[in-house]
Amino acid sequence: MGDTLITVVVIALVAVLMFVFPLMTMSDRTDDVSQLTVETATTEFVDNARTTGKLTMDNYGKYVENISSTGNAYDVEMEVKVLDENPGKKTTQTQSKKIGENVYYSMYTSQIMDQLETNGVLTLKEGDIISVSAKNKTSTLSQQLKNFFYSVAGNDTYSIAAEHAGIVTANGVGK
Amino acid sequence: MKLQNLGVIFIIIILPISMILNAYVGNQVKTLSLQASYDTKLNNATYDALKAFQLNTINSDTSDLANSKLRDIEASANTFFNSIASNFNMVGYNRDILADYVPALVYTMYDGYYIYSPYTNTLDNTNSNDIENPITGAIEMGPSDAQILNPDNPEAVDATYKEGDKLSGVKPYIFYSCRYIRGSDDFVITYSLDNYITIQGVINNGWVNDAGYLLDNIGTDGSTYRGITIDSDISNMASEQVYVPGATGENPREYPYIRLNGVKYYYDKESKSWFSIMNGEKYKQDNFEPKTTVARQYYKEAKEFTERVRNEYKLFDLNGMDAVDENGVKLGEKLGNYTIFTDSNNSIEDSNSNFNQQRLAVIRYSIEKNLSIAIANYNNGGNYDFQMPVLKENEWDKILNHVSIISFLQGLSIGGKIYNGHSIITNNKNQEVVNEESIYILTKDGRYHRANDRDIADDSVVEGIFNIDLERKSYTKDDGEYYFFPKYALNGGCYNCIVRQTSVDETENFYQYMAGKGNGKLAQAYFTALGRERYGMYKTYNNPDRVKEEWYKH
Repeated sequence: MGDTLITVVVIALVAVLMFVFPLMTMSDRTDDVSQLTVETATTEFVDNARTTGKLTMDNYGKYVENISSTGNAYDVEMEVKVLDENPGKKTTQTQSKKIGENVYYSMYTSQIMDQLETNGVLTLKEGDIISVSAKNKTSTLSQQLKNFFYSVAGNDTYSIAAEHAGIVTANGVGK
Repeated sequence: MKLQNLGVIFIIIILPISMILNAYVGNQVKTLSLQASYDTKLNNATYDALKAFQLNTINSDTSDLANSKLRDIEASANTFFNSIASNFNMVGYNRDILADYVPALVYTMYDGYYIYSPYTNTLDNTNSNDIENPITGAIEMGPSDAQILNPDNPEAVDATYKEGDKLSGVKPYIFYSCRYIRGSDDFVITYSLDNYITIQGVINNGWVNDAGYLLDNIGTDGSTYRGITIDSDISNMASEQVYVPGATGENPREYPYIRLNGVKYYYDKESKSWFSIMNGEKYKQDNFEPKTTVARQYYKEAKEFTERVRNEYKLFDLNGMDAVDENGVKLGEKLGNYTIFTDSNNSIEDSNSNFNQQRLAVIRYSIEKNLSIAIANYNNGGNYDFQMPVLKENEWDKILNHVSIISFLQGLSIGGKIYNGHSIITNNKNQEVVNEESIYILTKDGRYHRANDRDIADDSVVEGIFNIDLERKSYTKDDGEYYFFPKYALNGGCYNCIVRQTSVDETENFYQYMAGKGNGKLAQAYFTALGRERYGMYKTYNNPDRVKEEWYKH
C-alpha cells in the first residue's frame, strides 16, 4: 500500500520534472529571446526615425512584422513630442536669450497612425522627441504555465516589454 | 531500473544543461542589449558633436574659411568625446580610455571631408640651432631653443609632443576628387554635395583650372531657367536684422543685403553706402556696386561653365571608365560605364542624371578608401583588429547628400563579443551647403513655408529664404552677450509645414516638383533664391580679384 502511494507520488513528481520543468525552462528562454527581438526591433525602429527624421508606414509595418515573428501579439504605443518652436519668430512665451524653455505638444498612437495611413509618412524635425513602447497582449506559453502552477494574479501582466525613445536629429525630407 | 532512479538520472542530466543554457542565453541577451545601449550612446554623442558644429558655424562669420572650420571641427570632436565620456562614465570608462576606441570621426563637408583620427607623432630632430661643421660639412645637432632659454635644464625640449607619441587630430582635408586619363588628357575633377565641380589638369594639351555649377535648361545670358524668368531687379534684395558694431540708435537694425563669396554686403539707404561685418568689425565697401542680381549671375555663369565643359574642354563624352586611381591605374567599371556630362534622358542637375551617379560614386569611393585606410592603420596596441564596418545603402544615401558626421566606436568588450559600432548623423542646417530643401518660401502674410508646402498659393509668394538666415544669432556688447533673430520682421513660420510638417508634399526632385506646380511665381522665387544662395557661398576656388572685377566700380 505504502509502496503504491510512493510510486504514485514519484510518478507525479517525475512527470512534473520530466515534462513540465523542461517546458517551463524552455518557454522562459523563448520569452527571453522574444524580449531581445522586441528590444532590438524597437531600438532600430526608433533610431531609424531619429536619424532620418521620418516615420514611415513601411518601417512601421516592418517593425510590427518583426516583433510579431516572436509568435505573440503586441500593443505598440507611440508618442511623438513635436517641438512647438517657430524659428525666427517674435518670441512671446519663450525668451530668446534662454535655451531649453521649449514647449512640446504630443501626438499619440492613434493620431500618428491616422497620419501614417493617409500620407504613408510622418515627417519629423530636428528637436522633436519620439518614443515607442511594445508590450505583449497575448499571454506567452511561459506566462500560461506560470499562471497555471503558481497562479499569478491579474490578466494584464505582461512579460515582454521594450521601449526606446530619443531626440530626432535630422529634418525629414523626401521619400 | 526503478522509476526513482530514472528520475534522479534525469535530474542529473537535465539540471546542469538547463543551468548552462540559462546562463548562456542570459549572457547573449545582456550582450545584445548592451550593444543596443552603446549604439544609442554613440548616436547621442554624434548628435551632440553635430549640434556643436552647427551652433559654432551659424554664429561665426568666418566658418567657411579653412582654419576657422578646422577650429569648429576640433571643438565638435571635443564635444563628441566629452559627450561619449559622460555617457559612458556609468560603466567606468573615462575620456582618455574611450579615445583609444574611436578609430575615426569623419566630417563630410561641401567638397571634401576631414578625418579626425589618432596618429603617431613624428618629430623631425633637426632644428634651427643645428650647426654645420665648417670642415666636414656635416650637420651637427645644436641645443634646442628650450635648452638655450633654460641653461640649467639640459633635458628641456622644444616640442610639446615627442617622437612616437599617440595623438588624435584632424588630418588634412580630402577632396571628393577623381582623376581621369583619356588620350593625352590627364585631369582631376573635384565634386561637391551639389552640382558644383572643379576641373584641374591637362586637357587638349593645355592647362585647365576652372570651376563652376553645371546646369541645363538655362536661356540666353541666364535670364531664364526652365522657362522661368530669373529676377534681375537689383533693388529686390533680401533684408535682415544685423548688429552693426559701433552704430548708434536702433541696433540690431534691418538692412537689405546681398551675399557674395560667403560675405554679406549690407546696403545703408541713408548714407547710400555698402558695408560688411567681419569678426565684430564694420568694414565700409566704398566701391561696391552690383550691376545685376546674384541669382542672374549664378545662372549666367553656370550656363557658360556648362558649355565650356562640354564644348571647349570636350568632356561631353567623358566616360566613368576613364577614371583612374592615384597611380594612374584604370578603375574599370567601379565608377560606372556611361558618359558623365551627356545624358539624353535627364538634365544634368536632376538627381538621377549620369553626372549625379558619377558624383555619388566618386564621393563614396573616396570616403570608403580613405576611411578604411585610416581605420586599418590605427592600432591601439591591443589585440583588437580595427576594421571598417560595411555601411548600408541607406546610410550612404544620408552621407552622400548632406553634411554629416560618421563616428566609429570599436573594440569595447560587451560580454560575449567585441563592440563594433558606427553612427551617422546628418544635418541640413549649416553654412556649408545650400540643399534644395534649404530654401523656404516667404508669402505675403509674412510667414515662411517649406518650398514643398502644398498650401502655398502661387500668387501669395514673395521670395525665397535660406533657412540658416532664420536661426538665432548672437552678438557681444560690453555688458554681455545678446541674441536676435535676423528675420525678426517676419511673422514666423507656417505652423502646418514648419512645426507640424503635416502639409508637406513628398518630393525627392524639387525641379520636377516645381514643374508640377506649374512653374509659376513659386518656382520663380524658389529658383531665384536657390541661385542666389548657391552663388553667395564661399568657395575655395573663388578668386577674390575676380569678385572685385565683377562687383566693384573701377
